[in-house]
Amino acid sequence: MKKHVLGAIVLTVGLGNLAVAQAQGRDNVSIVGSSTVYPFATVVAERFGRSTDFKAPKIESTGSGGGLKLFCKGLGANTPDITNSSRRIKKSEYDQCQENGVTDVVEVLVGFDGIAIANSRQAPQLTLSLQDLYLALAKDVPGPDGKLIPNPNKTWKDINPALPASTIEVLGPPPTSGTRDAFAELALGGGAQAIPALKSLRELGADQVDEIKAAVAALGIPEGFYQSYSQSSGKAPKGKDIFKAIAYSVREDGAYIEAGENDNLIVQKLEANPNALGIFGFSFLDENGDKVQGSLINGVEPSFDSIADGDYPVSRPLYFYIKSAHVGRIPGIREYAIEFASDRAMGEDGYLTERGLIPLDEVELKQVQADVASLKRLEM
Amino acid sequence: MQTSTVFLTLVALCAVSFFIGRHKSRLIGMAGGGLQTLHSLPVHYGYMAALWAGLPALLVFIVWLGVEAPVIRNLVIAELPAEVLALSLDELGLYYNQVVGVALGSVDVGVVDANQVTAAHRYNELLTASRGLKMLLVSLVAVIGGLLAVMRVKPDLRARNHVEDIFTWVLFACSSIAVFTTLGIVLSVLFEAVRFFQVIPMNDFLFGLQWSPQMAIRADQVGASGSFGFIPLLVGTLLISMVAMLIAVPIGLMSAIYLSEYASRRFRAVTKPVLEILAGVPTVVYGFFAALTVAPFIRNLGESIGLSVASESALAAGLVMGIMIIPFVMSLSDDIISAVPNTLREASLGMGATMSETIRKVLLPAALPGIVGGILLAVSRAIGETMIVVMAAGLSAKLTINPLEAVTTITVQIVTLLVGDQEFDSPKTLAAFALGLVLFFVTLLLNVIALYVVRKYREQYE
Amino acid sequence: MSKDAFKNTELIQASLKKRYARERRFQLFGKLAVLLGFVFLFILLFDIVSKGTPAFTQKQLQIAVDFDPDKLGVDASASAEQLRQANFNAVIKSSLRDMFPEVTSRGDKKRLYRLVSIGAEYALRDRVIEDPSLIGQRKDFWLLAHSEAAGYLKGQISRELPEVERKVKDIQMDWLDQLRDKGLTKSSFNTLFFLEGDSREPELAGIRAALQGSFFTLVVTFLLAFPIGVFAAVYLEEFAPRNRITDLIEININNLAAVPSIVFGLLGLAVFINFFELPRSAPLVGGIVLSLMTLPTIIITSRASIQAVSPSIREAALGVGASKIQTVFHHVLPVAMPGILTGSIIGMAQALGESAPLLMIGMVAFIMEVPGGVTDPSTVLPVQIFLWADSPERGFTEKTSAAIMVLMGFLIVMNALAIYLRRRFEVK
Repeated sequence: MKKHVLGAIVLTVGLGNLAVAQAQGRDNVSIVGSSTVYPFATVVAERFGRSTDFKAPKIESTGSGGGLKLFCKGLGANTPDITNSSRRIKKSEYDQCQENGVTDVVEVLVGFDGIAIANSRQAPQLTLSLQDLYLALAKDVPGPDGKLIPNPNKTWKDINPALPASTIEVLGPPPTSGTRDAFAELALGGGAQAIPALKSLRELGADQVDEIKAAVAALGIPEGFYQSYSQSSGKAPKGKDIFKAIAYSVREDGAYIEAGENDNLIVQKLEANPNALGIFGFSFLDENGDKVQGSLINGVEPSFDSIADGDYPVSRPLYFYIKSAHVGRIPGIREYAIEFASDRAMGEDGYLTERGLIPLDEVELKQVQADVASLKRLEM
Repeated sequence: MQTSTVFLTLVALCAVSFFIGRHKSRLIGMAGGGLQTLHSLPVHYGYMAALWAGLPALLVFIVWLGVEAPVIRNLVIAELPAEVLALSLDELGLYYNQVVGVALGSVDVGVVDANQVTAAHRYNELLTASRGLKMLLVSLVAVIGGLLAVMRVKPDLRARNHVEDIFTWVLFACSSIAVFTTLGIVLSVLFEAVRFFQVIPMNDFLFGLQWSPQMAIRADQVGASGSFGFIPLLVGTLLISMVAMLIAVPIGLMSAIYLSEYASRRFRAVTKPVLEILAGVPTVVYGFFAALTVAPFIRNLGESIGLSVASESALAAGLVMGIMIIPFVMSLSDDIISAVPNTLREASLGMGATMSETIRKVLLPAALPGIVGGILLAVSRAIGETMIVVMAAGLSAKLTINPLEAVTTITVQIVTLLVGDQEFDSPKTLAAFALGLVLFFVTLLLNVIALYVVRKYREQYE
Repeated sequence: MSKDAFKNTELIQASLKKRYARERRFQLFGKLAVLLGFVFLFILLFDIVSKGTPAFTQKQLQIAVDFDPDKLGVDASASAEQLRQANFNAVIKSSLRDMFPEVTSRGDKKRLYRLVSIGAEYALRDRVIEDPSLIGQRKDFWLLAHSEAAGYLKGQISRELPEVERKVKDIQMDWLDQLRDKGLTKSSFNTLFFLEGDSREPELAGIRAALQGSFFTLVVTFLLAFPIGVFAAVYLEEFAPRNRITDLIEININNLAAVPSIVFGLLGLAVFINFFELPRSAPLVGGIVLSLMTLPTIIITSRASIQAVSPSIREAALGVGASKIQTVFHHVLPVAMPGILTGSIIGMAQALGESAPLLMIGMVAFIMEVPGGVTDPSTVLPVQIFLWADSPERGFTEKTSAAIMVLMGFLIVMNALAIYLRRRFEVK
């Protein structure tokens, strides 16, 4: 009996303590969003928390889309103040924000994230052109007669005699990832433009219906394609749209392996498999220089300078968005943003650069700092 | 801690009611010619008094907790000057958040305006008042309830039945939580799933042979059209689960047989829990192990004998998942084999059968339905496993039953679709909910079968 | 007749040999299976322990720190508030330059500064706030080494590698060798690992916040799942009539045991965060979600152990006039309790190692501050492991394994508790 009484007392005290879940004022900045920006935002948050009197912000890694959804849900202490994004906010998302009362949004361009294409140090360093990447990884490529055929290339040598005869095996992010999106646009899209037929298709306007149809026919795409395409999108497509549909599709026969979002894992898989190439963020290449080496793209090696100068062709911008209505209501938002945009963080020698962020150039940085200071409203 | 004070007071009042109820029933019983004249034992009268005191007061308490914050909020806001009230509802919420912050001392007074400071004072006043009232009301209800119960104590009051009825209802409520959870799960994925099926026809989803959610992320970007065929995912999931079962069932079952029939008591007492550690290893760890150790090993092994093995082979993921499930199969089978009546064992051994013959011809058939049920549970566990496959199996949705190739599973797709960078209303994200719904029904089906098997065949041996 | 019997015996004799061989083979398979289990466990543990052990030591460098008021920007009379703002970074930098006066180029200076952790700056700040008289003095301090420098001192980075391929350059290695030869480096037990919250600097990162978060989450889980689970099991085993509703409940419970955990996360998001408006990232919500997830395990195991209670106990109790409730609560449950507790502990262990559902309710987050209650933002141990495993910095590899070791340690303790209870149960 005594034991039971004791147990009951422990239980009730425990339950009693739980019951104090009352609404309290939130006094730390709440940040959500992209897992690509997360490693940078957390560094800023840590320094901010350690060196000021404000509480350290809470940063969740939810993915860009999930972050923007939470962000645009409305105002109030139970919604996030800032969302990180590895792509620009979409018009539809912006509209949703407006609809839910999040009218004033400040956009902050943080810098760039280079996308490295790397392989194990045990294998020779590759020199690839964008066209090589397109021919290796696109779903359909022009065959000998100029018509699109399912990608027949099995080894790198099939594409370019200068490359080794190893099997094409590329580990990369899944279609849900912003990294993949940027890679498709910059690398595959860029490579496809090196093929004259595709390049000329890309330049056709929406009104040049016959030319587009002719170009599509020359590529061996069935005639119905144009029709069904314009029906599904609801307007006459431009040549560029069709070009994107062709060029941005990644092959799915096993040569491109969707390997998830964990870049560390990709690095380690590359180490275990010297034949494979991997696509991941530049900061992981920077940190794992002893294990993997970046391939030269169009003759340029991925490095801070080459990415910042724009010589290295595959990189993407990173952003975060601030809810202006929360500034002044939740302590620390403006101060955090200013710290993020400061020279010592985002500048050329800033601590974020050490972590692999590719900084903005001087003029852009000044502009961003001014925008943050004045909380410039984003118009779309 | 105010809230817990009220709670503790309530508990104390219940205890007091209990003692008074018990005491009074004793007095009445003794007066009426001994305790046997009472319908129930004195404790039951005590329990009844405690329940009467506790339950209504607890209800009041919970309701009060629920409405306290909104009521105070409205009262404080009502007293704010007109220009503040002109703010939109959401902005008012932020404004008020700051007021609460000031009141609780977490926001510096310097950064807010005078109205907010006044409001904060008002907030504190109201909060104190509310806490006092809450204490008073809860105590009052408890005392009245307790008194009513105590007053009703009579020799013919059926206190025990009364208390036990209440208890049975509480027990029933607890077991029905499972139903509510299921309902909650279905409801929380259903709406999004329905929105998905408005974009992608259900037939294409359920019977499509191609899964490639390559849809554009940005509006200005067209990309390939996505196809959302569920079959490759299902086949991939089943393939990996099958490999896992091929590892886990023989090893788990044989271990269970050895431990329950051959091993000494001490060996068993040590071995079983040690092997159960395998079930406790975080799945992230297994994921790394599968991706970095097992997968390259299998690949090299395959290449050395001239087979082409994908570096993300289903075999590697399945193998490691099998290791994880070994203790699950082992524990379940061990319990079931141990539960086979000893008479069967002794009869067979008495006829001169060896131990292994007894096991194979007598024990296993007797335990089979239970083991099959357990294995089906293990299968649904394998189907639902996420982290290992996320790391080791990759995401290529290939329709194949060759375990040396890379496949993907439903859970992996759910995770990647939900945490990706795409916008939240695109079919890609919504597909995750549809997958969740389908997965739910697949496991439901498996469980109904398992339950049916166990029910139908178990009875004979008990 | 006797001849036949003799023949039979011979036949039996002959077959016996075969049967015994088969018996031995069968037993061997059994042993092999158990052995395999052990081998797998050993490989896993070895892998983790060998990777994680270095994380429990930290490296420090002895630096003669000159608290020059000019560099600090404050003098000895400064208030604590001014001291907080003082420039300790500059002090550390100049002290390092004083130790290696030959360093002049900008790049080399940068490399030199990189030997010391950024945490040193805040550690010095706290020391000076404690004792402002240090200002103007020159004193030797043990400062935390940067994770890269510590990696070299721990022997994880080899000079053999070409310089471009490693983060620690030749010149940094030379400096560190010099310091080591002078006895100015030391290793000590990494207390920070257990006392600090998350950090992006591997040498500063700790598991305290995650541990505390896990603790709060598990408390909530246990307080909800244990009573509800046991009550549900009692109802289903002892009271439930055999009808449609009971069947429905039973199928539901078995099914919930198999629902992938991430789906529980979706439920938590929709019901507790969106509908009940409970705070995101809070152990309260995490605990509720995990308790829903572990409920089936607890119910199923509790039912099994209630079932195992001998009917004679029930009949005896009922026979002397106890009511159903009395029988169950006074006689059946006490006997079944060790089994129930074992099942609950296994369920809790499962909850402790779970990370997928917490993704949906905002607990996959960067949390530096140690949570103080069930509504404070927090994360849990497996999530911390997941986040560290995904960090680019090399120093987090060992942290990841070390955190796994801690998590496994807790699991083993919980399992040991389960063994103890099971022993008591089996003796009965």
